[in-house]
Amino acid sequence: MKLKKYLVRALHRLQKGPGYTYKELLVWYCDNTNTHGPKRIIKEGPKKKFIWFFLTLLFASLVFWQWGILINTYLSYNVTSSLSIGFKTMKFPAVTICNANPFKYSEVKPLLKELDRLIEAALERILQPTAGNSSENVSPPLDLELWNQIPLVLIDEHDKDNPIILDIFETNQTAVGNETAVGNETSKKYKLAVKLCSQQGSDNCTYRNFSSAAQAVTEWYILQSTSILSRVPLHDRIRMGYQAEDMILACLYGAEPCNYKNFTQIYHPDHGNCYIFNWGMDEEALNSSNPGAEFGLKLILDISQQDYIPYLSSAAGARLMLHQQKSFPFLKDQGIYAMAGTETSIGVLVDELERMGYPYSDCTVNGSDVPVRNLYSQYNTSYSIQACLRSCFQNHMVEICGCGHYMFPLPAGVTYCNNEDNPGWAYCYSSLRSSIKQRQICIDSCKETCNDTQYKMTISMADWPSEASEDWIFHILSYERDMSTNVTLDRNGIIKLNIYFQEYNYRTISESAATTIVWLLSSLGGQFGFWMGGSVLCLIEFGEIIIDSLWITVIHVIGWCKGLKQRRARARYPDAPPTVSELVEAHTNLGFQPEAVGAVAGPEALPPEPGTPPPNYDSLRVRPPRGLGPAGDADTE
Amino acid sequence: AVTAPGKKITARLKRTLPVRGPQAPTLSELMRWYCLNTNTHGCRRIVVSRGRLRRLLWILLTLSAVGLILWQCAELLMNYYSASVSVTVQFQKLPFPAVTICNINPYKYSAVKEYLSELDKETKKALETFYGFSEGKSKVRRSVDEWNSTGSDFFQQIPLLKVEDFSRTATDLHSGQKRKIEGSVFHKDSSIVNSGDSNDIIGFQLCDANNSSECALYTFSSGVNAIQEWYKLHYMNIMAQIPLETKEKLSYSADDLLLTCFFDGLSCDKRHFTRFHHPLHGNCYTFNSGESGTILSTSTGGSEYGLQVVLYIDEADYNPFLVTSTGAKIIVHDQNEYPFIEDIGTEIETAAATSIGMHFTRSRKLSKPYSDCTETGADIPVENLYNKSYSLQICLHSCFQKAMVDSCGCAQYAQPLPAGAEYCNYKKNPNWMYCYYRLHEKFVKEQLGCQQICKDACSFKEWALTTSIAQWPSTVSEDWMLRVLSWDKGQKLNKKLNKTDLANLMVFYKDLNERFISENPANTLVILLSNFGGQLGLWMSCSVVCVIEIVEVFFIDSLSIVLRRQWQKAKKWWRDRQRGGAGKAPRAGDPERQGHDNPACTDEDLPTFTTALRLPLPQDSPLPRTPPPNYSTLRLETAFTEQLPDTLELGQH
Repeated sequence: MKLKKYLVRALHRLQKGPGYTYKELLVWYCDNTNTHGPKRIIKEGPKKKFIWFFLTLLFASLVFWQWGILINTYLSYNVTSSLSIGFKTMKFPAVTICNANPFKYSEVKPLLKELDRLIEAALERILQPTAGNSSENVSPPLDLELWNQIPLVLIDEHDKDNPIILDIFETNQTAVGNETAVGNETSKKYKLAVKLCSQQGSDNCTYRNFSSAAQAVTEWYILQSTSILSRVPLHDRIRMGYQAEDMILACLYGAEPCNYKNFTQIYHPDHGNCYIFNWGMDEEALNSSNPGAEFGLKLILDISQQDYIPYLSSAAGARLMLHQQKSFPFLKDQGIYAMAGTETSIGVLVDELERMGYPYSDCTVNGSDVPVRNLYSQYNTSYSIQACLRSCFQNHMVEICGCGHYMFPLPAGVTYCNNEDNPGWAYCYSSLRSSIKQRQICIDSCKETCNDTQYKMTISMADWPSEASEDWIFHILSYERDMSTNVTLDRNGIIKLNIYFQEYNYRTISESAATTIVWLLSSLGGQFGFWMGGSVLCLIEFGEIIIDSLWITVIHVIGWCKGLKQRRARARYPDAPPTVSELVEAHTNLGFQPEAVGAVAGPEALPPEPGTPPPNYDSLRVRPPRGLGPAGDADTE
Repeated sequence: AVTAPGKKITARLKRTLPVRGPQAPTLSELMRWYCLNTNTHGCRRIVVSRGRLRRLLWILLTLSAVGLILWQCAELLMNYYSASVSVTVQFQKLPFPAVTICNINPYKYSAVKEYLSELDKETKKALETFYGFSEGKSKVRRSVDEWNSTGSDFFQQIPLLKVEDFSRTATDLHSGQKRKIEGSVFHKDSSIVNSGDSNDIIGFQLCDANNSSECALYTFSSGVNAIQEWYKLHYMNIMAQIPLETKEKLSYSADDLLLTCFFDGLSCDKRHFTRFHHPLHGNCYTFNSGESGTILSTSTGGSEYGLQVVLYIDEADYNPFLVTSTGAKIIVHDQNEYPFIEDIGTEIETAAATSIGMHFTRSRKLSKPYSDCTETGADIPVENLYNKSYSLQICLHSCFQKAMVDSCGCAQYAQPLPAGAEYCNYKKNPNWMYCYYRLHEKFVKEQLGCQQICKDACSFKEWALTTSIAQWPSTVSEDWMLRVLSWDKGQKLNKKLNKTDLANLMVFYKDLNERFISENPANTLVILLSNFGGQLGLWMSCSVVCVIEIVEVFFIDSLSIVLRRQWQKAKKWWRDRQRGGAGKAPRAGDPERQGHDNPACTDEDLPTFTTALRLPLPQDSPLPRTPPPNYSTLRLETAFTEQLPDTLELGQH
């Protein structure tokens, strides 16, 4: 009982609100709130009251609707971009220079000798089938083992539905004879294809068709040479490639002379030895603070075209690429060619895109959150999307074929594929490479970097050296390289390069959040203020009123419970309630007394009429007037 | 007796026109009421403040706040249609663009020779006459003889002329006669023309066929330009008369042009190319044109995975006068775009490998009212003659062609035909060249209005190309490469290929990043309203409710007060008139004053909280003009405390 008393008192203390009933509370709120609408409702006449009530309701719903839109906008994390263009002192890009040809033919010849003889003999057969016999007699017998691992075949498509497959060496003379016979026809229907088998001698073979024999020969040669070269240890491969002192003849950066020692050597599987200027791995990156060719990098290269591997790369020139410091050069993707016998000028504009990370866009800052093991991290290079894609491919290759492809770095404990150890690798690689599914997996798992830097190049070319100056230039460069008076250079090998910043050297697109929390708050405030003149304080007021009305509800509930209790207590009376006749009797006959009345004491035990409850002060206080209670309820809802 | 009519009027007024609308009977009262009850902050201060200076200050402050709000909101409104740019980069599988490849030379010279023999002879003759150039004496002699025998008035109409600039006379190629030049002189390249030493200028004259006095002379500073331009003029004339099927046969077939093809690591052939006949470049071949229904896409960047083709450029079969450079032209475009190869093509060198790295950018502008661009071109009053999606280039060409058909009566050869028109040729439209040149002059000077009508497209795709060239084939691989390619070419060609007849082309994506630059509306209605709200709130703590209040008080209420006063005045005047000479109207004072002095009038006032609750009017409110207390908390509070002892009492129970 004491607890109850305490509770009631606490209730009263807490409930020192502005009214006892919902209606009072609401009226008080409307009159005193700082939002603009409600005051009008109670201040105006009946018709206007209605209008104002309607308006307030409309404005409140408008506010909530627009708040919804604003919050939605905020959660969509839009960005705005700002663009800036100009010239500023910037890090000179890292410049990677390679020869289009990976190895010196003179060095690599012993390894590829058999292969070259095979392809030459095959070409003889294909091109001049009748003359082929004589040359074959002269040459020593061919090592057909290499051939049989991945043979080239001729496909005779005269009969569309039933093409005849002719192996170039294994077929007997009749097949060749056939070829001669039809060769004179106007429409040639022979096609060259590479036969790839999952296991040597097995029937599970595919024929990679080529519309052009040149392409087929190149593909075949690449597959074969990859297999041979993958068995050569790395330091031998580096030795077979072009050395810096042979390749880089002259170097000038701005006004400062530089030489091949300023270049970092890196072994690139596609292009052999590559040399990177200003990679920034060991030393600080160089800055350039002046535009124009005078202040850029000037190089003279020798690609010694005579020493190219004839079947491997048919294009001759230097391959170069501009990239960011500490990133791996992916020359096949981003590289450009420089032609021999020309001066190539490259004006550079750094096109940067700085993006906000999560949640604004789905990009990665350093690649640590990408589920692909980055194999290029062994070069200490930063993450890039190309590195991710290649690593992804190599990982798949190791998983499916059991060995790594020669063109990509190796995961730990795996060897490169070659024909001896992995006879089916070419088949496996070929099917993996053309698999759309595998590519899609890699595309889905790799993420682009948030900071995307591109070097926009304006390339122009001129003939170099000019005919008049050619003699002395070749002479000096040859002398400097070999200390001999013999001219060892010619137009087919020499390249001049100028790489410099343009007048405007940067274009930066940087993102910033379009909707910050400050923006959100001011917009929310603006909306609320615009429609209703409200602020956060108004919300607090409203909250207060809700708490108040909650208390009123609590008091109501308590009152109702009490009433219920009393009714229950009444129901516990042993007697049945008096009947109407009894009551009438009691009313009219003053002497009439029901017997049971005396048994239970208490004023409430004497209900003279069932409608009137006994006076109960407590309940009176807490309970609202009968008429107003439900009305107040309806209002709050 | 004097006040009686006034009272009567008021009583009647109350009956017929119950005072429902205005909050106060007079304008000044209304203002006062407004200021005290409004939700904005400044106004109340004006009424409440004491002292004239302070009041003035508050008036000034309130007015300046209103001014600021109006200014800022106007700024907001004016900047509503601004766009913000967003750049998104997406790494994904990219659709490969269509690549259109043309030989620079449109038709095989050996095949088209029969049509052009007269023109060539004429050109050679001109070369000999003016410059003393001849390929071989006997040949020219013979051709001159033939010329005399065939005799075509067509060439005589528009001959090459040697102009002596100062005397304004020209030497005709054929007759050798000097004749006076009339009409205006157009200089095709203007810089050298006026220098004194070059008085031998080559050009040609175009005359209006109907009115021979109207002539235009086109001169060139260099004979190279003059002869090429003149040759082209006649060449178009001749080609316009040859039907399309014949022209397609005269030009290169896919087998002729494409030696090898390799895409995305797989071999491709001529079936992947779509032929498209370009009037000036002959047969062009579009790779991945999407006509088969599928558009190829690449999921790997890099040169190995792009398109690699070796083109056969038969240099020996080139037209010596029409084209003077050797190679191919390519253009990278969207499948829906028309390749304007003559305008934006990239030239490909022979005996070289051209590697073209692409970077894909998609842009989208906002159309009206943000910027003046068109989404589909449907709102441009120029009919799209090309069967492709709208572009500015298409619009300009179509517009010119339309103007050409309208004013010259025939269509220009280099652009598609509009419905019902046919290509100009000299036989049917002897006047067309003069007309064309005139029109073209106008077009270039933007006098045709095409540049004004045509708008740029709102969304466009762009492939930024990085072109670099390497020597191909390399000296050591040249031998086998040429042999194998000759074998590829097959028996049709009974000679070994020369490396200057070949061009290697690689088109590939440098990376699979798609840059999407889009404009977005910087403002939405929601944000605009928020900003309005911010401004209103900052300066005056105002909201839409205040605006409604202002409308209510200053327009509706004030108007009704004024109207009522006018009505009463009119009534009074009428009554006075009715009474006639009954004497001066009683100066009963303003009826409104009476109205609000009359306590009955206040009953008609809009019910306040107190009246609404049917509580007794506070005893200490003698004047109805003072507004009811703003905060009725006090009153309720008392009601509460009255009951409090009751509860306490109960608590003690």
